[in-house]
Amino acid sequence: MVQERQTYGLIRRKGAWSWLDVRGRRLGAWAFALNRLTGLGLVLYLVIHLLVLSLLAQGESRWNDFIALAKSPAFLFLDVVLFFGLLFHGLNGIRVALVGMGLGVERHKTLFWVLMAIGAVLLLLSAWKVFSSPAT
Amino acid sequence: MAEQTVQFKVFRYKQGERPSYQTYTVRVDPRTTVLRALEQIRQEQDGTLAFRHSCFHASCGTCGMKVNGREVLACVTNVLELSTSEVIVEPLDNAPLITDLVVDMGDFYARYQPAGMPMIRESEFLPDSQVPEGVEHHMRLENCIECGLCLSACPVAGSDPLYLGPAALAAAWRMVEEPRGRDPATVLAWVDHEHGCWRCHAAFECSEVCPSNVDPAGAIMALRRELTRRKIGQLFGKR
Amino acid sequence: MATFHVLIIGGGATGAALAHDLALRGLQVTLVERGEVTSGTTGRHHGLLHSGARYAVKDQESARECIEENMILRRIAPESLELNDGLFVAITEEDVAYRDLFLEGCAQCGIPTRELTREEALRLEPNLSPDLKLAVQVPDGTMDAMRIPLRFLATAKHNGAVVKPFTEVVAILKQGNTVTGVRVRDHRTEKEYEIGADIVVNAAGPWSEKVAAMAGVHVPIQPSPGVLLALRGRLCNMVINRLHRSGDGDIIVPQRGLSVVGTSSWVVEDPDNLPVPEDHVQLMYEKGAEMVPMVKQAPFRAAWSAARPLVGERGATTGRELSRTFKCFDHADEGVEGFVTITGGKATTARGMAETTANVVCQKLGVDAPCRTREVVLLPHTAYYVQPD
Repeated sequence: MVQERQTYGLIRRKGAWSWLDVRGRRLGAWAFALNRLTGLGLVLYLVIHLLVLSLLAQGESRWNDFIALAKSPAFLFLDVVLFFGLLFHGLNGIRVALVGMGLGVERHKTLFWVLMAIGAVLLLLSAWKVFSSPAT
Repeated sequence: MAEQTVQFKVFRYKQGERPSYQTYTVRVDPRTTVLRALEQIRQEQDGTLAFRHSCFHASCGTCGMKVNGREVLACVTNVLELSTSEVIVEPLDNAPLITDLVVDMGDFYARYQPAGMPMIRESEFLPDSQVPEGVEHHMRLENCIECGLCLSACPVAGSDPLYLGPAALAAAWRMVEEPRGRDPATVLAWVDHEHGCWRCHAAFECSEVCPSNVDPAGAIMALRRELTRRKIGQLFGKR
Repeated sequence: MATFHVLIIGGGATGAALAHDLALRGLQVTLVERGEVTSGTTGRHHGLLHSGARYAVKDQESARECIEENMILRRIAPESLELNDGLFVAITEEDVAYRDLFLEGCAQCGIPTRELTREEALRLEPNLSPDLKLAVQVPDGTMDAMRIPLRFLATAKHNGAVVKPFTEVVAILKQGNTVTGVRVRDHRTEKEYEIGADIVVNAAGPWSEKVAAMAGVHVPIQPSPGVLLALRGRLCNMVINRLHRSGDGDIIVPQRGLSVVGTSSWVVEDPDNLPVPEDHVQLMYEKGAEMVPMVKQAPFRAAWSAARPLVGERGATTGRELSRTFKCFDHADEGVEGFVTITGGKATTARGMAETTANVVCQKLGVDAPCRTREVVLLPHTAYYVQPD
């Protein structure tokens, strides 16, 4: 199906860097790049999350130390960053899934902004929730 | 015409040497295109500068290159409209480099199915006009001028050298949309794999840079829609 | 049996068709071109597949060549041509008065015509000027200016020819009065080397005189540029010509989704460094709009110049006085052996030019091989880049 090719000339391969090189690029490529970044970020988060959960096995005091850290403003801010990652990746993911089946292709930019608007509202709400929760 | 001077920073590469950038000063007027500026450099300053061109009016697709980081056809890119005092000129990405701004298009063409590529279509322009006697229907050459801008701009093509790419997939869609005697099922089978139409992840840069209204992104999604439709149909009854 | 080696200088339509012809006759062929193939005059023309009607009154030799080659190209290069015919439109009474002369000329040259009333013509092409008086239909068409020569080269390569773009001839080598080859500079490496050949053919278009001078011979070439204007939008499906003696801005050639308005004519010494005079561009708009008023509103795509290689001594003023036919010079007539020049002509007649030249070359070499290019269907242009299995 895919022809074997003999290429000649200097091969200048960008590799995976081409995903993130948005110089001279437009909206669709930015959304793509950010999707890749948030995807990687979420995978990284998952690993960290599991590592953190393993602290439970190390006894109550280790866990309580962690919880104290988790209530600090810096950490709460990171939570909001996490929500951004989830929202962006999830909502843009809906767009990619739709478009990838051939639906809404001509309006993909509008679709993006509508979903991002929804995401922005949800992000603001969750940030407010996070920062206004009563501390125990 | 009012002339101005613009700096051109041009990518240079001769086989056996290391790539570099060379700067030239060029006089331009309000009509000067990047291609004419490159010609001026070659004729008056540096006869070793090699670049591809042919038709001068965006109909042959030969002069594709990156200007200020963006894929364009040099022959229709107006220098002063770029509004930068320095213009950076580089060869296309995702294609092997022969010299300077010259890439090897063999790699681009190898992605098309060896037998058959739609070259000519019925003209959709002036649909209410009558056809002259002796002519069956108005015909015109296809939009795609095989310039390679789409393949250069595609972020997926950068990481997957086996990806068929926007141009080849757009050609496949044209064959499915208007079969011209071929069986659409064979064309669909040709694109239905991990390096075919499913490799695309909706960056849409191909359609953004296409100088010729091909809309490869739309074509790729149309292929996927068609394949999805057929697969669902197969699941539910078309045995 | 050793095969003779022919070296062709120039990778435009002429060189491409010649490489194809000679390769079919079993000769070893190398073609060198200083830039990308067709980057000279060939790639730049508006792509008119001539019916010859344009020359039917003033230049009948050229007209006959055109209609013959038109029919051959339809046979050997299908799928690279937009075959919608063309119209010669009369806008003024002066144009109408030219009609009889025009029809007579076409008949004499074997160019089929069909006269149409104003209403019939407007039904075919609704964008024509309302001042239209009558029109004549002819077998004009649009050819892909770059891809048809590529098809010649693809087929030639398939038959063993070697094509070297970015290979610039810097000297023509001689031994006594015989040309023995060329010295070239490969712009991929900037290294020079020599290529030996039994015959060297100069097919460098408007640069033919510069190349001939390297061999110490003279070719009477008058480079004659013209301005072309490309507009976005296909304003007509048929080629639109003005029904009058050849003049500026009297043709609109549709090409894909573009309309190309042409052309003008002046003479220069140097085929490089062609200017694009602004007044010529404005003239294209004006004259084009006389036939199709929408020309004035169509979005601009490009304006450029291309140099015709006209055969004739210097001294012409605009170039329109010179014939558009082609000429093959065997420089043995000037005492230089092993060197032939083919020049003049038009893209439509490239195959015919190649046939004549290949005949001369084979005669000089004592090779008895007939021309087969009228029948052999050309490979698709993609085969130039990727050889078919």
